[in-house]
Amino acid sequence: MSVTTEDLMAFADGELSGAEADRVADAIAADPELAARLDSERRLRAVLRGALEPITREPVPESLTLMIAAAAAEETEQDMIDTPPASARKSASPGPPARILDFSAARAQRQAKARAAKEASQPLPRRWGTGAAIAASLVLGLMVGTQFTGTGAVSEKDGALVASGALARGLDTQLASSEPGALRILSSFRRQGGDYCRVYDGGTNSGIACKQNGDWVLERTLAGGKRETGEYRQAGSAASELMAAAQEMAAGEPLDAAQERAARVDGWRK
Amino acid sequence: MSNNRFCEELTALLPRLRRFARGLTHDAADADDLCQQTVERALKSRQQWQDGTRLDAWVYRIMRNQWIDEVRARTRRSQTFALEEEGVNVGNAGDRDAENLVELGNVGRALTRLPDEQREAVMLVLVEGFSYKEAAEIIGVPQGTLTSRLGRGREALMRELGETA
Repeated sequence: MSVTTEDLMAFADGELSGAEADRVADAIAADPELAARLDSERRLRAVLRGALEPITREPVPESLTLMIAAAAAEETEQDMIDTPPASARKSASPGPPARILDFSAARAQRQAKARAAKEASQPLPRRWGTGAAIAASLVLGLMVGTQFTGTGAVSEKDGALVASGALARGLDTQLASSEPGALRILSSFRRQGGDYCRVYDGGTNSGIACKQNGDWVLERTLAGGKRETGEYRQAGSAASELMAAAQEMAAGEPLDAAQERAARVDGWRK
Repeated sequence: MSNNRFCEELTALLPRLRRFARGLTHDAADADDLCQQTVERALKSRQQWQDGTRLDAWVYRIMRNQWIDEVRARTRRSQTFALEEEGVNVGNAGDRDAENLVELGNVGRALTRLPDEQREAVMLVLVEGFSYKEAAEIIGVPQGTLTSRLGRGREALMRELGETA
């Protein structure tokens, strides 16, 4: 029985087994022309895969991974509601890894939602580009010392203000667009020289902190709440001032979510 | 499989899904849209996925059907469009194809010339490495139909790519 083109194709695709595979293999071994045809079959597969393989190495769009993460988070919430014994849940202390997973999933969900509502609420830009003009009219770097030192959030070290206590912990651990709380991280970036810096809003004060030799050195600070006049600063204006200042300090674009996570894992060491 | 496992596996599948989408659509922007729709659909209907079966085959099937729907809708649209503005549409499609050909080189060019049904068979078996049985199930045709499409597609590619293949 001769070996047909279909046989050869099936053999090359690994579809044959047992006696059928042996028969074709024997025929190929005995016939250089068949062997050459099998070669072209295999070359074709290699050429096709070679041409398309680079696509699998392209970065996957964040919109896709976020969509999946959001779905995972939703379901997890659902599971929590569905799981009946609340008392059992309380006594079973959740270990740290589970917490981290939940946080990142929840964060992804928020990001996906935030994206959808983007235009409506005009959130802080993840990328630079807006508000640079505002920077010119700013006075940054006021509020040195007096208000924060001794409160536990800021201390002085070698003549520089460094974050301590809860502020330092928040700068170490929180991600931008993380859950609202006392501290909000507005953006993370690297400045010239490679130090990691973070724009934060701590309610009573906001600023830009850069990690140097293990400390969060406060490069810029702004009063967050009342100004001397007693008027409330317009919501978001401190933030946009800081973002503009950050843009000037930054070398390149702010960190994206993945870069930020990676930097956190490395303890913000440059 | 837990939902988290499902989501993890789906995420791990994304690079390959993007490749298959590019092969089906031969257009980067279309491929991105197709991936988006496919992932949405897969998440929405994840209860229908049978544990123990291959997740990749299931998702590929969703993607493939989604694309067929899109192509049909476009054909309807372009027919209407051609009646109104004959010629214009054709010229645009040509330009766009030309761009994408450059991107994938002569292999991409050869792939785009295949009829859709041969191209999907080639993509599934020769590129993605599915068995004939799995590929036939993804497309929803008997295995004999799959192998004959594959055979014709393969021959055309060999002719076209000549010495390089």
